[in-house]
Amino acid sequence: MVLKLYAAPQSTASLRVAQVLHEKNVPFEFIPIDLRAKEQKQAQHTEKNPFGQVPYIDDDGFVLYESRAIGRYIALKYAGQGTAGLIPDQSDIKALALFEQAASSEFANFEVHAAKIAYEKLFKVRLGFPTNEEVVKGAIDQLNVKLDVYEGILGKQAYLAGSELTLADLYHIPFGTRLYRAGLGDLIDSRPNVAKWFNSLLARPSWVTIKDGITSTA
Amino acid sequence: MVLTLVGSPISTCTKRVVAVFLEKQVPFKFVPIDFTKGEHKAPAFMEKQPFGQVPYLDDDGYIIYESRAICRYIAEKYADQGTPLFPTDLKAKGLFEQAASIEQSNFDVYASKAAYEAVFKPNLGLVTDKSVVDSLIKQLEQKLDVYEQILSKQKYLAGDELTLADLFHLPYGALLPAVGSNAIQERPNVARWFNSLTERPSWKAVKDGIVVTA
Repeated sequence: MVLKLYAAPQSTASLRVAQVLHEKNVPFEFIPIDLRAKEQKQAQHTEKNPFGQVPYIDDDGFVLYESRAIGRYIALKYAGQGTAGLIPDQSDIKALALFEQAASSEFANFEVHAAKIAYEKLFKVRLGFPTNEEVVKGAIDQLNVKLDVYEGILGKQAYLAGSELTLADLYHIPFGTRLYRAGLGDLIDSRPNVAKWFNSLLARPSWVTIKDGITSTA
Repeated sequence: MVLTLVGSPISTCTKRVVAVFLEKQVPFKFVPIDFTKGEHKAPAFMEKQPFGQVPYLDDDGYIIYESRAICRYIAEKYADQGTPLFPTDLKAKGLFEQAASIEQSNFDVYASKAAYEAVFKPNLGLVTDKSVVDSLIKQLEQKLDVYEQILSKQKYLAGDELTLADLFHLPYGALLPAVGSNAIQERPNVARWFNSLTERPSWKAVKDGIVVTA
């Protein structure tokens, strides 16, 4: 049975999963969840994702939520097809740990701050709520510090976990693109190594295919 | 050469790692960093940990930072000794990663910020913004209501076996009373689960500060 992705066409977490499915050439059926109608909070959805969030997958009866977990599951299950090495093999535990270091950093040092900016400047505005500029400024200050560190790391290696692309790099894309939408693309563009790395990720066919919205491939 | 952990004896993230060292019965050398002297921002430190944060691990010259990454490395390297903390089956791994992601995005995000606002800021001579703490705790409580449901059907967050994902909650979960929140104890299944974690010898050994074993 083909894998089902229950997601919103433009949700950052949904895009994160869709990109991994494309990287690994895994056909999937996209079942759109209507966030404006709060479909994700209804019983039919919360029975599968009790946090009332998107996305979740149904892989022939096996249900999984949390976009980063889904991405990892896909990368492990389909290790032998599509883009190789999205998670380093278990036989090289040092490379695996460097991947985990980068993956942890993605959430703790990047998303935490980028998500606040996206929430204040995009999400709230869309719903007609005022932006808290103090929160935005705090997040920008933090991101500046963190991206200076990224600039240093990416001056020595092509990707965050080393010389090979991993999920840790890809996971930055959804909120990275939202920084541009919020008018703060300079956070990336002003740092040559970060900009080069980020643009190389955006150029990947897997991102180009989904960036304007997810569609079924099966 | 014995593993060296560079961290702070009172740091939440350092305790997260040491608890796992103890679960896996791995001896290590502990090198304490003094925050008050800014040792974590010194050039020699930042050469190893460019974000200027604790802890980091030095395994005979191989450096790893980010506490959860260090924990995963230890659990992987010493898979055959101590408490099993990682599943090996694909679907069980998926459920483990789901639980690990839940800890980061549905627990730590609120609990660590509340701890910073209510507990660490006063230690640094800064003023707590109570409205920020209240808002974070309110959001955390909504998430813990979901934990309550999940833990009514299974013993641990990834299923019926203990994994790293459960242990990752310890440092900030244990600080919630100091933040002024009894949210964990107010939920019977969450309390049962969390208390089973804090009763583990590995947590008891670190909760009041780090002791060296090597």
